[in-house]
Amino acid sequence: MNDDLFAREEGLLAASRAFAERDSFASEAERGAFADLLKGYEKLFKITRRLMRLSDRNERELNEMVGRERLAAEEVSRKNKELETVSNKLSKYLSPQVYTSVFTGAQEVKLESQRKKLTIFFSDIAGFTEVTDKMESEDLTHLLNHYMTEMAQVALHYGATIDKYIGDAIMIFFGDPETRGTRKDAVACVRMAIAMQRRMAELADVWRDGGIEVPLRCRIGIHTGYCTVGNFGSEDRMDYTIVGGAVNLASRLEHEAPAGGILLSYETYAHVKDEVYCEERGRIHVKGLAYPVATFVVVDLREDLEHAGELLREELPHLRLDAAPERMSEEERAAAAVVLRHALARVEKGGNALGPARPVTPGAEAGRSRPEKPDGRGEEKDRTPNSASGALRAEASKTYS
Amino acid sequence: MNNLKMPSTDRTPEIDFDFGNNHLILRGESYPEDAFSFYKPVFEVLDDYLVQLGTGSCQFDFEIIYFNSSSAKAIMTLFEKLDAAAAGGASVTIVWHYDEEDDTMQELGEEFGEDLEHAAFRLTKLAAGS
Repeated sequence: MNDDLFAREEGLLAASRAFAERDSFASEAERGAFADLLKGYEKLFKITRRLMRLSDRNERELNEMVGRERLAAEEVSRKNKELETVSNKLSKYLSPQVYTSVFTGAQEVKLESQRKKLTIFFSDIAGFTEVTDKMESEDLTHLLNHYMTEMAQVALHYGATIDKYIGDAIMIFFGDPETRGTRKDAVACVRMAIAMQRRMAELADVWRDGGIEVPLRCRIGIHTGYCTVGNFGSEDRMDYTIVGGAVNLASRLEHEAPAGGILLSYETYAHVKDEVYCEERGRIHVKGLAYPVATFVVVDLREDLEHAGELLREELPHLRLDAAPERMSEEERAAAAVVLRHALARVEKGGNALGPARPVTPGAEAGRSRPEKPDGRGEEKDRTPNSASGALRAEASKTYS
Repeated sequence: MNNLKMPSTDRTPEIDFDFGNNHLILRGESYPEDAFSFYKPVFEVLDDYLVQLGTGSCQFDFEIIYFNSSSAKAIMTLFEKLDAAAAGGASVTIVWHYDEEDDTMQELGEEFGEDLEHAAFRLTKLAAGS
């Protein structure tokens, strides 16, 4: 190809070489000058052809390289799509927070754990065995998946880490891998539980239309405490989960919870009581714990009860009123009246502005004994009737300012 | 005279002129943005050295992986200078190293070597990837 391209130059060189051999030069100096010119031209011609070959060769290699790069990029893209597909499938088996922390490298995939204070949630469907006995396997699968999907949506909305599904049970925790602080984690967990029970009530109609005669009702238990969280299992097959006595207690609370109810331990209650209205239930004994655990059943969010007019709540300087008259028993109503009359008398009488503070101790006047601290190991700080969860709470500041 | 040592960059080769031992090396890839600016000081110091070399002997090793057209012209100029020194009585040996899997570098070495009339020329295979 190059020979054809340079045919004219080759012809010119051949003619010049022939000319150099002729005797027609006027002098040897002229012959010499012509020979030098010819030599320089031959050299330039050689360089030109070489550079052209080099340039063509480099271009060829560059194109081959681009082709290889393109194939490699296509292969990488294909592999990436495969990985993305697999990773999307795998992500369904993991909680989004755990999945994200593993895939971003924040979480190491090795057998290690650490202690953290978490809020642990357990739920299951009350009487599930009876329900399943009446259903075909396909219908049961559909029902269970629908239930789990709905609950998972609520859980993810509140930032929960869904640990696992165990049959009809769900295990969830708050506080790892992300935490907003123990209190906020506990509040988020209880709010989630309330939202789940509300969603269950909505779903009852859907399921009833679908042939579920008795609506499904779930029991929920929640406890806040220290757990060991991390990867457990073997090097080849591990689960990111939590273990410890706190987990057992949460599970036990779930078993003790009423159908459609949410049962909290005192530790969780203490974190959420300002936002969630609860009533005290009995103490339960849990294997491995030396002392009984005080339990509280969730009534509703305080903001919703106040909005519905079920909760009287006032906060003034040196006065705080927190009462749910409609929820009171006769006995509680009588005790509350005594407390309020006593308080009213004190308020109307006016006080010794510099006198010592006296805590309000209505329980004694109502003929009630002072409740023990929920863990049974000492005095309880909250001295209102019916414990901290009761239908009336009146607090006065301990000092006059 | 002072040795000339220039480390390689992404676009320029390493220059290692050890004049004390009469051993000169040009190694790496060569496609500078301005080939003339890069090679001008190399030419100048080489010219001074070759003048001082007189009828002495030296070896120039080329270990080039890739070069562009402008660098090709510069390399040919280096060959010319070395061949001219050999024509003047110096004992000059040029060794062209090429990767054993790189046919292009082998062919280019052969072409450059054909131009030499006085300097000794040797092609040497490097183990692939070395």
